[in-house]
Amino acid sequence: MNIKTKRIGTQVLSHLVLILGALIMLMPFIWMLTTSFKGLHEVFVIPPKWFGERLVWENYLQISSRFDYLAYFLNSIKVSVWVVFFQLLTSAMAGFAFARLNFRFRNQMFLLYLATMMVPMHVIIIPNFLQMRIYGLVNTLWSLMIPPMVSAFGTFLLRQFFITVPKDMDEAARIDGCTPLGIFFKICLPMAGSTIATLAIFSFMGIWNDYFTPLIYISNAVHYTLPLGLASMKGMYSTDWPVLMAATCISILPVLIAFLFAQDAFVKGVMLSGLKE
Amino acid sequence: MQISANRNLNRPRLRGRKLTDDTPWAMLMLAPNIIGFFMFMVFPILATLFFSFTEYDLIGAPKIIGLDNYVELFRDPIIATTLNNTLVFTLITVPIGMAFSLLLAIFLDQKIAFKRFYRGAYFLPSITSMVAVSIVWQWIYNPEFGLMNYLLSFVGIRGITWLSSSSTSLLSLAIVNIWKSAGYNMMLFLAGLQGISNTYYEAGQLDGASKWKQFIHITLPMLSPTTFFIFIMSVISSFQVFDSVILMTKGGPGRSSSVLVHYLYQNAFQYFSMGYACAIAYLLFFIVLLVTMLNMRLERKIKEIF
Amino acid sequence: MKNRLLMSMVAVILVLGICMGAMAEVTTITFMGWEASPLETEAVQAGIAKFEEQNPDIKVQYTPGLSGAEYVAKLLSTVAGNTTPDVFFIAAEDYRTFATKGVLEELTDKFSDSYRLDDFIPSVQDIMSIEGKVYGIQSCIVAPIVYYNKDIFDKLGIAYPDADPTNAMTAADFRELCKQLTIKNGDTVDTYGVYGLETSWLTIYPFMISNGTHPYTDDYMTSTFNTPETAEVLSWIRDIRVVDGSAPDATTLENIGMSAAQMLQTGKVAMIIDGSWALQQLSQMDFNIGMAPLPKFKEAVTNSFAHLHAISAASPNKEAAWKFVQFLSGMDYQGALVSEGLWMPNRVSMYEPEAVAQWYREDVHGESYLKMLDYFKNSVVGPMALQKSNKCQSILTEEADMFFKDGQPLDVTLQNIQDRTNEVLGKL
Repeated sequence: MNIKTKRIGTQVLSHLVLILGALIMLMPFIWMLTTSFKGLHEVFVIPPKWFGERLVWENYLQISSRFDYLAYFLNSIKVSVWVVFFQLLTSAMAGFAFARLNFRFRNQMFLLYLATMMVPMHVIIIPNFLQMRIYGLVNTLWSLMIPPMVSAFGTFLLRQFFITVPKDMDEAARIDGCTPLGIFFKICLPMAGSTIATLAIFSFMGIWNDYFTPLIYISNAVHYTLPLGLASMKGMYSTDWPVLMAATCISILPVLIAFLFAQDAFVKGVMLSGLKE
Repeated sequence: MQISANRNLNRPRLRGRKLTDDTPWAMLMLAPNIIGFFMFMVFPILATLFFSFTEYDLIGAPKIIGLDNYVELFRDPIIATTLNNTLVFTLITVPIGMAFSLLLAIFLDQKIAFKRFYRGAYFLPSITSMVAVSIVWQWIYNPEFGLMNYLLSFVGIRGITWLSSSSTSLLSLAIVNIWKSAGYNMMLFLAGLQGISNTYYEAGQLDGASKWKQFIHITLPMLSPTTFFIFIMSVISSFQVFDSVILMTKGGPGRSSSVLVHYLYQNAFQYFSMGYACAIAYLLFFIVLLVTMLNMRLERKIKEIF
Repeated sequence: MKNRLLMSMVAVILVLGICMGAMAEVTTITFMGWEASPLETEAVQAGIAKFEEQNPDIKVQYTPGLSGAEYVAKLLSTVAGNTTPDVFFIAAEDYRTFATKGVLEELTDKFSDSYRLDDFIPSVQDIMSIEGKVYGIQSCIVAPIVYYNKDIFDKLGIAYPDADPTNAMTAADFRELCKQLTIKNGDTVDTYGVYGLETSWLTIYPFMISNGTHPYTDDYMTSTFNTPETAEVLSWIRDIRVVDGSAPDATTLENIGMSAAQMLQTGKVAMIIDGSWALQQLSQMDFNIGMAPLPKFKEAVTNSFAHLHAISAASPNKEAAWKFVQFLSGMDYQGALVSEGLWMPNRVSMYEPEAVAQWYREDVHGESYLKMLDYFKNSVVGPMALQKSNKCQSILTEEADMFFKDGQPLDVTLQNIQDRTNEVLGKL
């Protein structure tokens, strides 16, 4: 009896803390959503109201003339899918080589990769910008797609995984005449599913939400990604809060849907990234 | 994380047998990665070093001026201000953010209903872009019509001008960043907590240790690798904070919320001082390196203690 | 009959051929601007449509840039990336820097073929001409004035401010007026007297100039900010808010969350000091507005500036670009925006009665506006337009923030601005 009450007590306390936490985390989103359906006059009231008198759908219609959602969304998708795919491919192959192949300067080379992981992205952005200029790619989506095709972090993550795969299997495969490339594709890659998912989620989140890089590279509205499009919208509707919130809402919709569908993959991916070895 | 990597460096050795030389295969598989790595990581790092010794406006040709930019770093009072702001920002966000996310993780690390919902709710800010987040928070921080002051008015606090007062601007940005990264760190903590074997707690219970004692003597030490990982990642990202600054305060009022990267950006793209911006980039690199090394030292020390 | 059919078929084919020929030779020029409001964007887009209609062989691809300091960053990165738009807005304060760095196409010859520099009002000449050369055509002028909500004056039985600049009220009277217009309701304030004195340097400088001081020496190479006259102006502005409580505490738009025009409309303030561009938005709002010149210290004066339309030195389509820039300065574009109240004309001839009759609209400008025409025409150049480095602007913003929002002492502020500015200028 005593233990049972205590357990219920703990549960209630836990829920209280967790609900409070959830409120803090979700409040801005709820506020964003309800404000996007208010009239402008309903925004400037004291005390603030959670809901307006009626749902002002017009806010959403108003943005469509200025906020080219579909174009920005497609640009974001294009860049993200391309970058994620190539990061996974290059990281997996190199991670495999670093983990399981013998070649000269392997360890020195890998240390170099590790060292660059500490370099802030702001150190490299300017020369990369100048490089893209030489190739004539500034102000095209390519400038967002090419430099991040290789990731030191991804290489590191995959190498850490491939090291844990028992060696016996590929030794057997080698005796059967299988090439390292064959071992990579047939044995190791299929086992790396969850690590690859982790990396995919990481690079997707980074690329999809990136504001700094497009801010510098892209100057033609045709090539705007969602965050940049939203930022330019913000400059213009600086005081029309409901319209601004409506644009904000639809801009986060794609990741929100992706997250709802793949929550477990996200969670597993993030958890895995923190685990050692 | 780096440490464990170092430890593993020598592992892929075939025990006692002669090594097969896979150089051709390795070259094949590494080629795309290494080409990209050298073009877009190694070369730019060196190029930035070169530019940091020049005067360069992005339009004309760079002019070599030796160490002048680095001398200027020490003379420029704005460097001192922005560096100080960066440190204060880090000192606020890292400990509070970590404590908050650890708290959430501990309460979530049990058999409890609606776990999926909570987890999703906490994680939501992490997947949202800072641009979107900044718009909502600017409105939440509005001193007259915003939610923040409205909620605070119930406890008798009134009239805080969050983003437009130099005493609170940096704190306001810190709150947003804590809020945004808490879910992500919580998830990492959760993974760490789930990795602690139950047998330790059972032993602890047998000894009659209280929950608090168990937390101090079992949870915290066992969690320390995760904690260090989160710590170093949070510190590094705090030092690089930029998006929220440019989107919400533009470094103001005055210089009160201007951080190193913001000043770097201003020099590079507004003041035509690309060379100086590159020197600031190296200052940042140096600090991050220092912090990482200190952290590794500390981690080793702590390991010796336990 | 058959003949006519044949003829018309030939005609159709000819027309088609010409059309297709023209289509084949369509030049596309890129154009970058910024947007301060949805109304402004509509105006820009309408202007482009009109231009394309008049010039079927030119297509304009418009990109709205980001606003404020991000626009400079954007422009610089397009220059560095060899992707500079053919035609772009450039803020007056950045015009000199970009011109001297060779980014802007020199237009002196083309310009003198079509325009006379002395037809532009003096302050505009000062901005456009760099050592006798022209690199862009200024879009218009914008100058700060006082807008007020007539209903509040009526309710309190206070006389409207005189629109005639020769009778402009003194700074002391203005301060008194602000006090009278502030309506308190217990602890809270229903209506503040004024808003907008300290929001931008466009509104602070004219008071300094009115008081007989100037932030720079004539060559703009030395800061002369720290004068008793400047001190008088800055403390006057601060005291209206801090001592009298006749201005709202919030000193930035983000802080209030409303635009200045919205504050005036909702009766949150009785008067605003804002750029002339506010008239476009105000005239579409449903309330009685009045206009008056700025209060004076010694003489009644306002200052003006505006962005320029420039052509990239690297543009491959300079002829088409020039046509477009001319269009932007013409009656169809500048004239239309002047008519809407967003801009004010920058040419002397546009202030002649018959030209005024073309753009003046009773429902937008109103009679008091007419009384201020000379006031606008004689506006002095806004000092920010001629400053030598955009770091000067950062310094001003930082120090003024510390003074107005954070209680940094006045003498420290003045000294800091002068010393820091001189340090920057000394390095040039």
